[in-house]
Amino acid sequence: MDVSTNIEENEAYLREQFHHCSDFIIRSFKLKDDTLLLIAYLDGMIRVQSVEENILKPLIYSDSSLGLDRLESLTERIRSKWLPLTKVETDDTKDKLVQHILQGCLALLVEGEASALIAQVQDFETRSIQEPRKEAALRGSKEGFVESLRTNTTMIRRRIIHTDLKTESFTIGKYTQTEVALVYVQGLVDEKVLAAVRDKLDNIETDGIIDSAYIEEWIEDSSFSLFSQVQNTERPDIVTASLLEGRVAILTNGTPFVLILPITFWSGLQSADDYFERFVFVLLTRTIRYIMTFVAFALPAIYVALSTFHPEMVPSYLMIGISTARESSPFPTFIEVFLMLFVFDALQEAGVHLPNQLGPVVSILGALVIGQAAVEAGIISTPIIIVVSLTGVASYTIPRYSASLPFRLIRYLFLGITGLLGFVGFAYGIIFLMIHMVMLESFGTPYLYPLAPFDGKRIKDIIIRYPFWVLNGRNKKGKQR
Amino acid sequence: MIRCFHMTCLLLFLLLTSAGCTDFVEPNQLAFVMGTGIDYAGEEMVEVSQQIAIPSQMNAKGGSSGDSESFIVVSAKGKNVFDATQKIQKKLSRRLMSTHRALIAISEEYIEKYDAKKLFDKLNRDPANNQRDITVLIKGSAKEFLKIKHPLEQLSSIAANKELLINGMSSFTTRQFIIDSATEGTRVLVPLLQIDNDKDKGKDKARLIQSSGYAVLDKQLKIKGILNESEGSGAIWMLGKGTFQGLTIAWKDGNGNLSFRLTHLERRIQSVKGNDPKHILLTVKAQAYLLDNTTPLDMSEADHMMELKKYLDEKIQTDLQDIMNKVQKLGPDIFGIGEYLHRKHPYWWKSQREDWDENFKQIQVSVKANIQIRSTGTSANQVR
Repeated sequence: MDVSTNIEENEAYLREQFHHCSDFIIRSFKLKDDTLLLIAYLDGMIRVQSVEENILKPLIYSDSSLGLDRLESLTERIRSKWLPLTKVETDDTKDKLVQHILQGCLALLVEGEASALIAQVQDFETRSIQEPRKEAALRGSKEGFVESLRTNTTMIRRRIIHTDLKTESFTIGKYTQTEVALVYVQGLVDEKVLAAVRDKLDNIETDGIIDSAYIEEWIEDSSFSLFSQVQNTERPDIVTASLLEGRVAILTNGTPFVLILPITFWSGLQSADDYFERFVFVLLTRTIRYIMTFVAFALPAIYVALSTFHPEMVPSYLMIGISTARESSPFPTFIEVFLMLFVFDALQEAGVHLPNQLGPVVSILGALVIGQAAVEAGIISTPIIIVVSLTGVASYTIPRYSASLPFRLIRYLFLGITGLLGFVGFAYGIIFLMIHMVMLESFGTPYLYPLAPFDGKRIKDIIIRYPFWVLNGRNKKGKQR
Repeated sequence: MIRCFHMTCLLLFLLLTSAGCTDFVEPNQLAFVMGTGIDYAGEEMVEVSQQIAIPSQMNAKGGSSGDSESFIVVSAKGKNVFDATQKIQKKLSRRLMSTHRALIAISEEYIEKYDAKKLFDKLNRDPANNQRDITVLIKGSAKEFLKIKHPLEQLSSIAANKELLINGMSSFTTRQFIIDSATEGTRVLVPLLQIDNDKDKGKDKARLIQSSGYAVLDKQLKIKGILNESEGSGAIWMLGKGTFQGLTIAWKDGNGNLSFRLTHLERRIQSVKGNDPKHILLTVKAQAYLLDNTTPLDMSEADHMMELKKYLDEKIQTDLQDIMNKVQKLGPDIFGIGEYLHRKHPYWWKSQREDWDENFKQIQVSVKANIQIRSTGTSANQVR
């Protein structure tokens, strides 16, 4: 429906659309020659001072002296001569007009004109740029993404100063109309991945996108897999590095979490610091991380298998030590480990939800009541406390929180099957885990790449991070994937 | 997909719950056998004693000084080891677990009167046996041996095990025993232990374990002779099973003593005089570190060092030759010379192997020593 030349009709339309919207403001005023003008906006979403200075003042006080001839459209004249603003558009349809007001633009309607001027003077309170809490790095940039999409794209722009950095815009969600930007570096990116992502973004049909996590679930291929196929990060430097590796980033308005894809299993085990510290030291930290990742899901199972199915495999003194500690335990080892793991996860969950002031309460309850008292009462044996705590610590050595989640689940699965079958069960578990991970793909990239399928050049970034000057797949050949 | 997922969940749940009773054994349902004693108990009978660790007493805080012991010894008589062990099992509330055993103690009496070859079939055949444990002979009763309370270690069997390991003798495992006794050209040398009779050590029941030599066994695992402590260590060197040992020799004309620590013990068997299997040269090698010198030799002088090396070689050569002659007189070829000849002269060996214990006596074995003096210590001549 086009904008009417009748200004009263337009006003009535807007008032009807924004019925019961208390933050909607519509104000009419007259030029010196008594031409009626109308401004409409949503309160709190515009820079009021800027509107007064740049729109109202020139229009009301200046001598418009349009003269007799109204040959030139007044709207066009205001746009080109009187508004000292950079972003001014003209809208012809009422739908667009309403949409723009919703986004925080100022609409200016002129009597007798069939179009509306849209001044982009949005300004609303946002969070300032802070250091990302969840992914703090010891060295490197302290910037983290914020909720505003535009601020986030500038952070990437500032890092990749090249016209090949492309940002495609999408609007997703019937009600939220969330702006989503698909960011990539032309020439480095795999066109097939790009086409697939575009296609998937276009096909999202939902009422709202609250966070990038919604998009993640809509676009990933294997929803039932335990492993995430999309990485999320708050760090602009990680996004920049990923873009230069030929990946695609998806920025969502309203969340600081940016999605990166495609990813492999290994990217979950790499931290930004790996690339900021000397590579020899990184060898140590990565080795610890890989071992601890194994410990994080396998240790409880291995303990149960060794102490109840295969005690002959444990060195004599250790076995006597274990059985000394377990002499008066009322529950089977399997049940005990399961209980403690469950309690550990419960404490973790409680810690997330507790208000900050109550935080210490959980630590005291957890450490004293469950740890010490349970052992002293003889309900839980000490080796199991050690095993569960070590498992817990191990799962925090995984740098990305969402990458550690699958292992928290697998831990229970392994414990279950090992409690039934011993090491045979453990072997089954490993086999199924391997089969699943080898079959899993993230947007066409095998999940264990470059280990399986093996790629000698790219593997140089997996176990040892070679120094940057060592050819690692791309450095010299430029655009080769 | 979702339906499939639900089905899998249901199946897993059913599997987990219906399995119910599983075959795991909790550590507190196990009795850890740390040592096994085997005694003679009359005609065709054997008395088996199992030394079982009591975990609740093992790591008692504030030292194990209480009256309660950290182990029990349970014994029973039976037709064979398995039969007796079954009878022991019936007396116990926990399942016997022999995989952590550190020691098998066989009484001297048993091995004399009973066919010990039958004993080792069970040890070899049953996969539940830990063949890394050590086999020793005990002078006296093996049951009593297991019952002694060692002042340092909590269990006498662990004490005996450690005692052998710490003195550089790691090759007396049951596995090695079985291999040696099954090999045609080798006979078994086995440590002989006894309870130390010195009553002054520690509390009333505490006793140390003392080595009282080595038993030379023949093909039928009967004791042919006993080597004393110093002969034994020489024999072990020539066996190639030793790793290090101490040696003290007297200097010429009773002019003081020299003490060495010998490491990197090696031996080599060679045929001499072309291809004559009857003449064997056994070369022993070692690296010597001089630790004590009460002789007038000044070790900073090269002449004295040369003289010392020559003397040391000769002394060791004659000592070892004496031991070799003694063993040859006994008969059993504990050195594995037969095995060497088996490989070197397979056709000749065929005519010899039937009665090797006798034929070994006819072989002329000469011992040659080659000692390398690595260090003469930090002082040149004696501190005066």
